[in-house]
Amino acid sequence: MTTHATTEPEAVEPTSALASAPTVTARAERRWSSYVEALALPAVTVVIAAFFSLWPETSDYFLTSANLTVLLGSQTVVAVIALGALVPLIAGQWDLSVGAVAALAAVLTAQALADGVALALALALGIGAGVLIGVVNAFITTRVGVNAVITTLGMATILDGVINQRTGGIAVFGDIPLAVVEFGTGTFLGLPRTVYAVAVVALLVYYLLDHTPYGRYLYALGVNPSAAALVGIRVRLVLSVSFVLAGALAATGGLLQLARAGGADPNVGAGFALPALAAAFLSAASIRPGRYNVGGTLVAILFLAVLNNGLNLAGTPPYTSSYVNGAALILGVALAAWLGRRNSSA
Amino acid sequence: MTVLAVRGLTKHFAGVPALRGVDLDVEEGSVHALLGGNGCGKSTLIKALAGVGPGDDGEIAVAGQLHAAPAMTPRHAREAGLRFVHQQLSIFPDLSVAENLAIGHGWEAGRTGRIHWRSQNRRARDLLDRFGVPVYPRQLAGASSVATQTMICIARAMQDLEQAGVLVLDEPTSSFPPAQVDQLLAFVREFVGHGHSVVYVTHRLDEVVRVADRATIMRDGLVDVHVERDELTHDRLSRAIIGPAVRSAGTSVSARREPPAGPASVVVDGLAGGPVVGASFALRPGEIVGLAGLLGSGRSSLLKLLFGALPATAGTVEIDGRPFRPAGPGAAMRAGVAYIPEDRQADAAFASLSVGENLSLATSGEYFRRGRIRHRAEAAAARRLVGDYHVKTTSTRAAMGTLSGGNQQKVVLARWLRRDPRLLLLDEPSQGVDVGARAEIWHLVRHAVDQGATALVATSDLDELATFCDRALVIRSGRIADEVAPADMSEHTLQSRAFGIDQEAS
Repeated sequence: MTTHATTEPEAVEPTSALASAPTVTARAERRWSSYVEALALPAVTVVIAAFFSLWPETSDYFLTSANLTVLLGSQTVVAVIALGALVPLIAGQWDLSVGAVAALAAVLTAQALADGVALALALALGIGAGVLIGVVNAFITTRVGVNAVITTLGMATILDGVINQRTGGIAVFGDIPLAVVEFGTGTFLGLPRTVYAVAVVALLVYYLLDHTPYGRYLYALGVNPSAAALVGIRVRLVLSVSFVLAGALAATGGLLQLARAGGADPNVGAGFALPALAAAFLSAASIRPGRYNVGGTLVAILFLAVLNNGLNLAGTPPYTSSYVNGAALILGVALAAWLGRRNSSA
Repeated sequence: MTVLAVRGLTKHFAGVPALRGVDLDVEEGSVHALLGGNGCGKSTLIKALAGVGPGDDGEIAVAGQLHAAPAMTPRHAREAGLRFVHQQLSIFPDLSVAENLAIGHGWEAGRTGRIHWRSQNRRARDLLDRFGVPVYPRQLAGASSVATQTMICIARAMQDLEQAGVLVLDEPTSSFPPAQVDQLLAFVREFVGHGHSVVYVTHRLDEVVRVADRATIMRDGLVDVHVERDELTHDRLSRAIIGPAVRSAGTSVSARREPPAGPASVVVDGLAGGPVVGASFALRPGEIVGLAGLLGSGRSSLLKLLFGALPATAGTVEIDGRPFRPAGPGAAMRAGVAYIPEDRQADAAFASLSVGENLSLATSGEYFRRGRIRHRAEAAAARRLVGDYHVKTTSTRAAMGTLSGGNQQKVVLARWLRRDPRLLLLDEPSQGVDVGARAEIWHLVRHAVDQGATALVATSDLDELATFCDRALVIRSGRIADEVAPADMSEHTLQSRAFGIDQEAS
């Protein structure tokens, strides 16, 4: 049978695009609902904060500057580590080694300082260790082909061994330069100085994700790796860089911890991994719903911090925070998944 | 005796009639062929019978039971003894034949839920014997030929029928090598010998002549012609399908161009990799060249090789006189190659990213100036593209996944055409795309080619290929085995060439 055209290419109306122009009301409605989605979690955080400020059980302490300083300062380390975990997470890769990297960086730098190494060199050593571990993680996942969860879980375990071997399980204190401790514990304009460090890191990561092609490539990879390769994205390179960035940022978090505590405790690092990853996951629940993002990460950390701090002040038993954090993580990610599904299929 | 009767069946899609009062009678124990060009309403009719896309009006009677067409549901169809086996086989290749059969029926399990493999396999053995399917129950289904897999699907569909039923075979042989066609046709004849009835939907007239008792030819949503057994000849059928020949010849000629003069812009010599063992051809700027071939001939692989998505083991490619080694998509893109893959969902669309982001992913560097992505300029370009390519979307910020298949395909096309490619590779460009968008997509490809690009289009829809392409290359067993000149472009020629039949007497 021969050509039997049911449609003719000539039939295309060049003006048909006009028919698809959205109506003004539809656009306005969509915008309104998207603001609600984006700002729901920050709003809830504010409501909770207001509640603890007014609730007689906590109102005496919650809104004091001492408490707020502790509240914000205590979250700066986990915030920087979470921003590190966020980068590979966007590309669909979980980096479970961020906590161990932070601990290792803190220990290495603390020991170097104790050995009399110059401050700049000691800091560079800590960050360099994070970068190196990122490179190893990248090599194993992108070249050897081991799943990132496995790679970084194994790496975290190995690093735990390294840390304990180097410290004998004992915290490294002493000989930390005063400038470092002052940075870690001092305030500037009423806020802990480490909060400004978080702001700088957050701005850098935000710039990377939203204002460079690299950020686009990360998101594209996270959504559809096969299609990403077919638009010319160098998948292995982009993933490798994300692991290196995660290592560098996690190490930075470790150095912040060193400054705050005035020493390095070998048992602290591992504890950062899960809260940091949880915050990175929860980031998709706000600011840019359905997408892992910087603003959402900070909101998630503040939300959990305010909630835990208030409950703590109210004298709830310590295990309450486990219930709260676990439930918040599951509910938040469920919400983000729902928003993502709703926004990507009509 | 009539086992299936359709009366006055109509169906509209968004006000456009797809079926305009179809009457059909299928005799018990017969093979009834259903024929027609693309868009004639065959698929719509089958969906109405199956109850998955019920008709707007009309009646369907199966085995004497009358149903109003709009009330037809998959369950009604099933209870009435209607069974469907589709072109895309629903075979699980890594499971055994017995397991494949059990999936449509249920397992021989004990009270604790443990499967009794022995009785399961015995049941499968009986079933395979009953229908004469030449496989063992324990064999992996994927290890058998496509003809046998089709038979397994038929056995699975018919297994729980006590009485004789009506089986609808929807283009069963479209991906078959010739030898296996014979096997399936023999199987179908045997099958109706047991009292079942078959509605055989196909494009292939020679199969109709060999297997059918009666044929119905549809056109434009109507039954055009009924042909009885004693009139069933290739010639009679092809005249009936082509219909008033002058009209369709007119459209095709206007869509097709004479080959442009001038030197070739793309020269491929001995390209090999994957199933492609050595492809050599040349393409000129300004032409749309179709790539025809059977499933597994290397059709899709050849496009992937040219884009660097599949590593080449040998051969050379030259674009505009410059040698080009397709080492990867990045290298191919720099050489001016664009590739629109077959599976849009898996390989081209970023469903949860915005339309704007989807448009710019292959061009990201362009808006990155002085350390920042120029979001405003990028968004303006995206809005312009959405207009130029007639993409129907609420805004460029809407998620790609909210668009229809045709509009997503236009976004993917725009993503690549904005790069002004020299060589545009398209694999099944109108798959999962509605008829209107299909014409628009071809129109856009034609427009790009008029600007000096070259398009190489692989498609299994030979009717479409014959309509929209200027000439065609035929790929067989990994080699460019044949070429179809503009004057010979027809679905029939392409089909026979794809199978390596030089010229059929017709």
